[in-house]
Amino acid sequence: MNCNNNYKDPMEVLGRSKGHSYEELIENLPRHYEFNPTLLQQIKNIPEAILRNHGSSIAKKINRMVKEVFKEAYRAEQFTRTEINNKSVLYGVVLLKHKVIDIVLKYFHKRWPNCVICLYNEYNQKTGIINEEGIIQEVKEPLQKVIDRLSKNRSISPYFEDIEFSNEEIFEALYQSQNITERENLRFFNSMIPKNCYKLPGMRKGVEKKYNNKNRKLDDFIK
Amino acid sequence: MPSTLEKIRILGSNSKYDICASTASSRTNKYPELFGKSKNWIGATTSAGICHSYTPDGRCMSLFKTLFTNKCIYSCKYCFSQSCKQKLSFTPEEYARIFMKLYSMNVVEGVFITSGVCGSADDTTEEMLEAVRLLRFKYKFQGYIHFKCLPGLSQHLLKEAISLSDRISVNSEASTASFLSEIAEQKDFKNDIITRQRWLKQIRIKHNEDVLKELKDKKKEYELKYQEKMIKEYNQNGYKKFRWDGAPILNGGQTTQFVIGAAEGETDLDLLNRIDWQYKAVDMRRAYFSAFIPLEGTPLAKRNAPPLEREHRLYQSDWLLRIYHYKLKDLKDILTEEGNLPHGDPKIHFARQYFKNHSPIDPNEASYQELLRVPGIGPISAKRIINLQKQNYRFQRRIQLKSVGVVLKRADPFLKIDGQNQMTLQNFLNDDKNILFQEGIQ
Ligand code: SF4
Repeated sequence: MNCNNNYKDPMEVLGRSKGHSYEELIENLPRHYEFNPTLLQQIKNIPEAILRNHGSSIAKKINRMVKEVFKEAYRAEQFTRTEINNKSVLYGVVLLKHKVIDIVLKYFHKRWPNCVICLYNEYNQKTGIINEEGIIQEVKEPLQKVIDRLSKNRSISPYFEDIEFSNEEIFEALYQSQNITERENLRFFNSMIPKNCYKLPGMRKGVEKKYNNKNRKLDDFIK
Repeated sequence: MPSTLEKIRILGSNSKYDICASTASSRTNKYPELFGKSKNWIGATTSAGICHSYTPDGRCMSLFKTLFTNKCIYSCKYCFSQSCKQKLSFTPEEYARIFMKLYSMNVVEGVFITSGVCGSADDTTEEMLEAVRLLRFKYKFQGYIHFKCLPGLSQHLLKEAISLSDRISVNSEASTASFLSEIAEQKDFKNDIITRQRWLKQIRIKHNEDVLKELKDKKKEYELKYQEKMIKEYNQNGYKKFRWDGAPILNGGQTTQFVIGAAEGETDLDLLNRIDWQYKAVDMRRAYFSAFIPLEGTPLAKRNAPPLEREHRLYQSDWLLRIYHYKLKDLKDILTEEGNLPHGDPKIHFARQYFKNHSPIDPNEASYQELLRVPGIGPISAKRIINLQKQNYRFQRRIQLKSVGVVLKRADPFLKIDGQNQMTLQNFLNDDKNILFQEGIQ
């Protein structure tokens, strides 16, 4: 491509088309579990337009890595299933290879600012905690121990104790009620929840799994 | 006494044909204090929405979508209410609590509250609004709420619903009064639907003007400029069509839904005419299409279901109108004699027609609208190309287009770069220079 002008970022457009800026890449690339500091040096040598536009193999690689980081965080926001106890402690289990626990904790904090949130990461066996002030820490302790410790000095605020059904029962009832069997489209369904999502802790026992082709028996198809 | 679980099963399944699953709203980011200053708010909205699950039909399932009651004084011919014998209702408190429970599990993003009409539209809406008030002010939920406007609802209740929700829908069901009377004879198209859609537009604009003026005192300097611009725009033009305007009140705008194939003789042209009018006249954010499904026990049980492809083509055409800013006239050109969309992607049909009389376009020279006429070029890649043009970058090889997101295999026949376009069989036959080939034919 020819450039007749002084260099100016030509990719500066709105929305999804804008790509990641230098700052975003430099901030988020170290989150990748295969991150190597020489990559940061390489980023600085690439014109931003090429970086944003996947214009070279290294630019492509860097963008792919950042995309993997954000995708993992987004999947955790989508598919982590949480519970809340009567001491306003919200907790759940995640599986995060990249260093995105802070992104996921902040997502829950924004929704439940009056709760302490604990997420146990099976990958590094640490529990991430965010308190009401938004302060984050990670501890090498199992989830239950952290929940007990945090719950000890907190006042009781019963949230949903009078609801006699389990979380799974309620969600399964809602889930099954929404399915339009006449429009079943398992190919589309499987593309929306690809099979690696069922490895996430929140989805391992999910009702969705029953509908995944791979988990269906021959009888289900004959029916 | 039916359990709450039983109610979710039945009322949820009665509401499943309502298609809208969006949870997108930028309200809590931009206006976190819209419902008052408090540290106790629960929940948030995100501008792109989040899908927490998908049903086996592939649709996103992120809303607590159930009817409030399935008792209904109407008898629309396509509706479950004709066949569902078990009549149930939530209480407002029950509805609000069970939703908050689901929200704490991170399986839903918000509420989609709809209902049959029990007694009158106002009576039922009062109950629905009570559930929403509980959510907003007792349980402090500030996340996403989609509210259904029931046919014949009073203006004062609609006003309150608008002030508490992110999105409101008034289902059109059919494109004209006569088609509607065929499938839902008690509904009055003009009064129950069109008038309510107009009210929605007017109340939304007025509400937002007031709220923005009020918020102005509390906001920081840099946000003020944005708000001033918005107020000025409202005063000059009303809401800009097709645009996400980021308004605080009813951030997700109004939507509608059509039942496709229930009314005999209703064509795609009828539907496209109606949605085009709605986009222009009532600031419709978007239209949804739900292919009619004949339900056992309803008067239309024997009617054939339309192919799902029809619904898909309508969505594609709606996309062309709404996002690509095609004119309705452009789409009319590709319709069949019966007034329906042909098989296959409408954009490709349109491109084939258009490029019969126009030469392939050069991405280095073309305007944004011209680029959007090419299959394989969407708004994002078109914006990138325009941006490169502005910076005097020139595409010299086709493969360079790939990097900006153009789908080359679709776009190639309609593009020329440096005066060269892809050789198609037709071009080859028409080309005078191909003497050898012409001689071969002779
Ligand atoms: S108004 Fe019509 S479509 Fe709505 S619930 Fe009643 S019968 Fe069904």
